[in-house]
Amino acid sequence: MGSLYLSIGMALLAAMIIWVYPSFRDAFDEDELLAAYPQELIQLFDVQTMTALEGFLAFELYVFGWVILLGLYFAYSAAGVIADEVDRGRMDSLLAMPVSRRRLLTEKFASLGVPIVIVNLLLPPVVLVGAWLIDESLSVADVFAVHLLSIPYLFACAGIGLVCSVVFDRSSIAQRVALGATFALFLMESVLEGTDYEAIGALTPMRYFDPNEILLEGTYDLVGAGILIAMTLLFVVGSQFWFARKDI
Amino acid sequence: MTAIELEGLTKDYGEVLANDDLTFSVETGEVFGYLGPNGAGKTTTIRMLLGFISPTAGTGQVLGHDIRDERALIEAKRQIGYLSDEPGFDEQATGNEILELHAAVKGDERSDELLALFDPPMDRQIREYSRGNVQKLGLVTTFMHDPELVILDEPTSGLDPLMKQRFAEFLRREKENGVTVFFSSHILSEVRRLCDRVGIIRGGELVTIEPIETLLTRSGKAVRIQSETPIPLTVLDIDGVHDLESSLPGGTDDIDPSSAFTECAFTFTGDINQLLAALSEYDLLDLSIEEAPLEDVFLRFYGGGTDV
Repeated sequence: MGSLYLSIGMALLAAMIIWVYPSFRDAFDEDELLAAYPQELIQLFDVQTMTALEGFLAFELYVFGWVILLGLYFAYSAAGVIADEVDRGRMDSLLAMPVSRRRLLTEKFASLGVPIVIVNLLLPPVVLVGAWLIDESLSVADVFAVHLLSIPYLFACAGIGLVCSVVFDRSSIAQRVALGATFALFLMESVLEGTDYEAIGALTPMRYFDPNEILLEGTYDLVGAGILIAMTLLFVVGSQFWFARKDI
Repeated sequence: MTAIELEGLTKDYGEVLANDDLTFSVETGEVFGYLGPNGAGKTTTIRMLLGFISPTAGTGQVLGHDIRDERALIEAKRQIGYLSDEPGFDEQATGNEILELHAAVKGDERSDELLALFDPPMDRQIREYSRGNVQKLGLVTTFMHDPELVILDEPTSGLDPLMKQRFAEFLRREKENGVTVFFSSHILSEVRRLCDRVGIIRGGELVTIEPIETLLTRSGKAVRIQSETPIPLTVLDIDGVHDLESSLPGGTDDIDPSSAFTECAFTFTGDINQLLAALSEYDLLDLSIEEAPLEDVFLRFYGGGTDV
């Protein structure tokens, strides 16, 4: 049920962005609008161009909606999966059953896959139909690719939340730390880009999912996706290790 | 075979020693009461037995499985029913959905019978449940897989008197069927109705383990007497009267308040018939004989202390 509401929300955001695009396109030549933005903001959101629908979507929908909003949302959700059960006294009832803590944690984490997959299955048709309605053409393959490649990214963000969920006993703290950490990682990757410390950004999941690259250049960073999957596994294994040993 | 075995089980939180070197065992088929005031460390012991928290020293076994070994403990849990002191279920789920989850993980042998007995509202969401209904659903999920051993943490909290009665009868039948029961309580009268043996814990330490009869003889009753006419104090000169407090409010000047009373309270550990016989010739306004509060039992028999 939650997955459906989430998808509807994201579909509305996508529809709104596509709906306003023609007036932007007609009102400005070249990248006049982009030039009006402060340089820092352009770097922060990795805005490439706003004259093509691909660039407009990459910035407004995918960097803002997927990298930031959904990234934070799944980090926040995952931060609740263990801490919330402990907080509300439900963990005792669960662990009294013959299940291992590792399995319980893995299944709880895997259950986040449902909203992650559903939102990425339902959105590509919405975006493609929206583009068709405003007489713009989008590469079908690229749109599906951006959604497909966002799945490991969102799992990695959920992994950050999962770690918080086992480290902190209070779910409110776990969720706040997860939100803070995920946003801090996003800022770190964006702000450090082009500086001597750019290499540090390699530790953030945001480095490995780039909507601009996919939509504007049609290149798919499969190595990046692999790194995100590895990061997710690392977070899950680390959480398992911690959770198996902690006092509930 | 012993169902539960504790060997020097200790949980040291640094500032608090929640369980201090507990060693005792619960035999198969026994109903064992784990009695102590709130905060004595009862729940800590139970949560160590189920592997929720690890002991800082010592060990224990449930149904022959080491509690420090998760894999072994999972095997044991197939035959264990557990009711937490504050059972928590997913608020979004209905009673039926909770039951399905539990049935899927540990099996369902007898939920129909249990539902008929305890009758929680299965179609409603848990968020609409009262504390008592949560407890009833907790009892169903505890016994539904027909476990060999049940561990109950304050099982009657939240239940109304009728349900408490029904639960007590149910537990007696379970005992006849050979189920081992380990249950914690801070209410002496509850434990006395059901248990074979009682272990008393206070401040994290095991004070004593006694058969229930011994404990009851030692614990005594709180007696209060009120009469219209003064009764000589010598009447209460019988075995088993402790901590006598008497008064003679509104008494006449010609009677010494230290030789007679119209109101008195004391703890009685003697023969109740002897007491009633001694009082029978007096016209009483009121007489109450109640279970001594657990705290008094501790103070009287196991040494005082403000940390109770």
